[in-house]
Amino acid sequence: MNAMNFQVNLNGMIDLLSNHLYSDNSVFVRELLQNAVDAITARKKRGHIFEPQVTVELHAAHTAAFHDNGCGLTEPEIRDFLSRIGSTSKKEELDAGDDFIGQFGVGLLSCFIVCNEIVLVTRSSNEGAPALEWRGRPDGTYTIRELATSIPIGTSIYIRAKEDYEHYFDYDQMDELLRRYGSFLDTPIVLEGPWGPTRINAVLPPWRIGRREALEYGEREYYNKPLDAIPLRSAIGEAEGVAYILPYAVSLQEEKRHRVYMKQMMISEKNNRILPAWAFFVNAIVNVNGLKPTASRESFQENDLFFAVQHELGESIKRHLIDLSERDPELFATIIRIHYASIKTLAIEDEEIYRLFMPYLSFETVSGRMEMREIIQTLSDREREDGYGMQVYVTTTLDEFRQVARVAKAQNMMVLNGGYVHDFELIRKLTDIWEDVALDVLDVLDFSSRFKPLRPLDALQAAPLLAMADRVLKPFQCESSIRWFQPAEVPVLYNTNDEINFLKMAEKTKREGNELFADVVQAISEELYDVPYARLCFNYNNPLVQKAIEAEDPELRRTCIELFYTQALLMGNYPMSQEELRLMNDSLLVFMERGLDGVDGGGI
Amino acid sequence: MRSRFNGLRSQVWELPNGKQKMSVMEEAIRVADEHLTPSDAYEARMSYSNMAVDSGYPERLLVSFSWCLAEFDRSPGEHSAHMIMWHYKWVLGKVWQLSQIGTGEIERIFADFKERCLKLGYSLRPYYQQLVNYNLAKGELVEAQRCYKEWKTAKRDHFSDCSACEQNLYGRYYFDLNQNKRGMRLLKPILEGKIRCRSVPQTTYVSMIEPLLKMGQFEQAKETAKKAIRSLEGAAYLTEFGLMLEYYALADMPKAVKLIERTLPFGLECRMPWTRLQYFVSVRLFLQQWHSLGRRRKLAIPAHVTSEWVEQEIARLAEAFDRRNGNSYCRTLAASKERQMIKLKAAYAAWNKR
Repeated sequence: MNAMNFQVNLNGMIDLLSNHLYSDNSVFVRELLQNAVDAITARKKRGHIFEPQVTVELHAAHTAAFHDNGCGLTEPEIRDFLSRIGSTSKKEELDAGDDFIGQFGVGLLSCFIVCNEIVLVTRSSNEGAPALEWRGRPDGTYTIRELATSIPIGTSIYIRAKEDYEHYFDYDQMDELLRRYGSFLDTPIVLEGPWGPTRINAVLPPWRIGRREALEYGEREYYNKPLDAIPLRSAIGEAEGVAYILPYAVSLQEEKRHRVYMKQMMISEKNNRILPAWAFFVNAIVNVNGLKPTASRESFQENDLFFAVQHELGESIKRHLIDLSERDPELFATIIRIHYASIKTLAIEDEEIYRLFMPYLSFETVSGRMEMREIIQTLSDREREDGYGMQVYVTTTLDEFRQVARVAKAQNMMVLNGGYVHDFELIRKLTDIWEDVALDVLDVLDFSSRFKPLRPLDALQAAPLLAMADRVLKPFQCESSIRWFQPAEVPVLYNTNDEINFLKMAEKTKREGNELFADVVQAISEELYDVPYARLCFNYNNPLVQKAIEAEDPELRRTCIELFYTQALLMGNYPMSQEELRLMNDSLLVFMERGLDGVDGGGI
Repeated sequence: MRSRFNGLRSQVWELPNGKQKMSVMEEAIRVADEHLTPSDAYEARMSYSNMAVDSGYPERLLVSFSWCLAEFDRSPGEHSAHMIMWHYKWVLGKVWQLSQIGTGEIERIFADFKERCLKLGYSLRPYYQQLVNYNLAKGELVEAQRCYKEWKTAKRDHFSDCSACEQNLYGRYYFDLNQNKRGMRLLKPILEGKIRCRSVPQTTYVSMIEPLLKMGQFEQAKETAKKAIRSLEGAAYLTEFGLMLEYYALADMPKAVKLIERTLPFGLECRMPWTRLQYFVSVRLFLQQWHSLGRRRKLAIPAHVTSEWVEQEIARLAEAFDRRNGNSYCRTLAASKERQMIKLKAAYAAWNKR
């Protein structure tokens, strides 16, 4: 049997690279810069003394030339590394201790995304090596010939734009691309332009300059003055960089765009993994030397080392914030004000951060938004005054909070809204810091039962109203009760828990769902969830309620109940069913009629 | 009302998975039910079903799905058959997790699913796949094996789970049969990164830990646990958190303590009897290890969650399942896991001393 070779369709592979592997067709600039820089590194390793430089020239007919004075290539090297896809000159050295950026041997292929022929002219730094010319085409064919002329040691690559890719070869565009990828490379990179040579990487990266310069750099890059620049460092994976604290709030869902360099070469402008997910209030610029890139070299392989680096960089941010709270309390407060959502996420994940930030985080209370330290202060003042104890209640949802806020305030209760993202979890851990605080999750359905019950005589008087209310409200899954509470102007307290809408959905499903699932729905709504009726608690302290109790006409009493109920729904912004809307309309009409009759009767 | 509906739906976008998100969506559904078109109510429920699965409220999926299925039948041609059938697949994976539902009904639901597949020209591959899970959960190994064969021979089509998910399940199937080497072999393409999807390999790692321990591959188990814990977030992974808890109870007590303090609120909140049973069986193993160490520190968990309470909870749930299934499989589950734990603990201690 003959062993045969697979035929690889190079055109197909190039299509794959351009459409699937790389996110941007301009990566050929990165690949060419990288080959040039690696060649220079290799020549330095051979002990040569020279002035390393990469020069890029733009010629007529949209042709670009990348020159480097690196180690050059011999004919066997050309055959091995340039003409065989997937092999690389950098493999052996890689294991040794790698200073090279590339490693897959597919980099040069990316040039075929923008051109139809690559011409490479090279002379190896080996003594007496000849000048060679290699021409490669995307159909997989190539030629090598020796040149008679003498050229300096190094490599020049010439590419001419194919149709539709000319724009990459304009001066301005090339200048921008070189700066984007190569700004922080150590090797000098020069672009020859119509007005002479320009050094494109004269600036120092932000992690090698002072805080003030780093902030200025950030402002230029992001068109916004960052609140602060945090130095990032991880000895593991050799990572360093700067995290800029954004001057505006960002949404949790927003995709992060950290700019990541590998060995000073820009590999991605929208990396969202190099920092922990909680760090969404910063934009980072990070250089990493010790992580393995993925094939596209636009991100890193996510192994243990990667997560260790991610963790370390996160620690840098944490330490900085802790330090800042003492060094610059004003800036610290500003950061909290703008990024409280992010800081809350962080505080849940990390105990140290929790202790540090919790006093300054603000929460919604029945008396408005307050910082936690104010809340604690208020509690201990009250404790001193009346010995109530440091009791805090938290609701699980915003809706529950709204139901009780007004009445709870009148009772001087400290109720916090746990309905916003993370607030509940944060509040639940309060006692970790303030041991004297007693914390309870408020059961809203049970809320009204904490008020004073009526005296037996009053209760007797109110009984007919309650009995009728239970009858009227039963179809709406609502029970009624009566108590005396403050404030007097609130006639009823309507409470439902957050499962009520789900249970109403289950009710509807019982009527309109697929029959096969009837028992399933029944079991869920009746056994897994205890059916919680909503509660309507009449306030005996309210004059209108008093009048409704005293009303002798059952029709009038009924109408009052219907209006109290539907008003409570309206005030609480609850979606009303058609039946509830009808109830409200009917009862309003009854009142109008009675009112108008009254006017008639008055004989005006 | 339309704008209120849209407002609620965009609010949902901003919220992380969880209770708050569910209740905002429930309000949106209620608005749609009362004031908008059945089509709005349908679409809202379909996204709600997704959220219910991702947020760890599978029972709520069953409720929203039941209405959608009826609405789908009421308005032929109005909604995508593929989508509703895809949700039906999830439903088949959940419906037997309610001990309150009798086997007769479960079988009728399976039969309805099968009939719909045949009518729509879909392969029965997912049908058999779900039957395997159902039978394994009942401890009916012979029937599970029969269905497994049917599953593997039915043809793949657009309605089948993706190949990464299926490969993952093949592996787990053999783990359930305690054929761990074979299971590991089947997971190899996933571990080598040849196939992956939205949920694989994340859930693969967790399922490998116990088999690795059983095979004495403690170092690999440790590496796998590291990867596994990173990929678990939120109440939807309660069973997986339980498995991690078992591992840490054996290998890293401080981490186990952190994990139980973090996940017990999910466990107490969970209403699905099967998931609850699985999780509390794990909690029981943890508590046994914790007490055997005679630690002084108090666990930061609600006071009513004592060993006795956990025992009662497990007994109550297991009995309900066994009554339904007509066997004693679930009642022996906790004890057999305990025996397993004792064995593993000795082996692990010996390895750790090396």
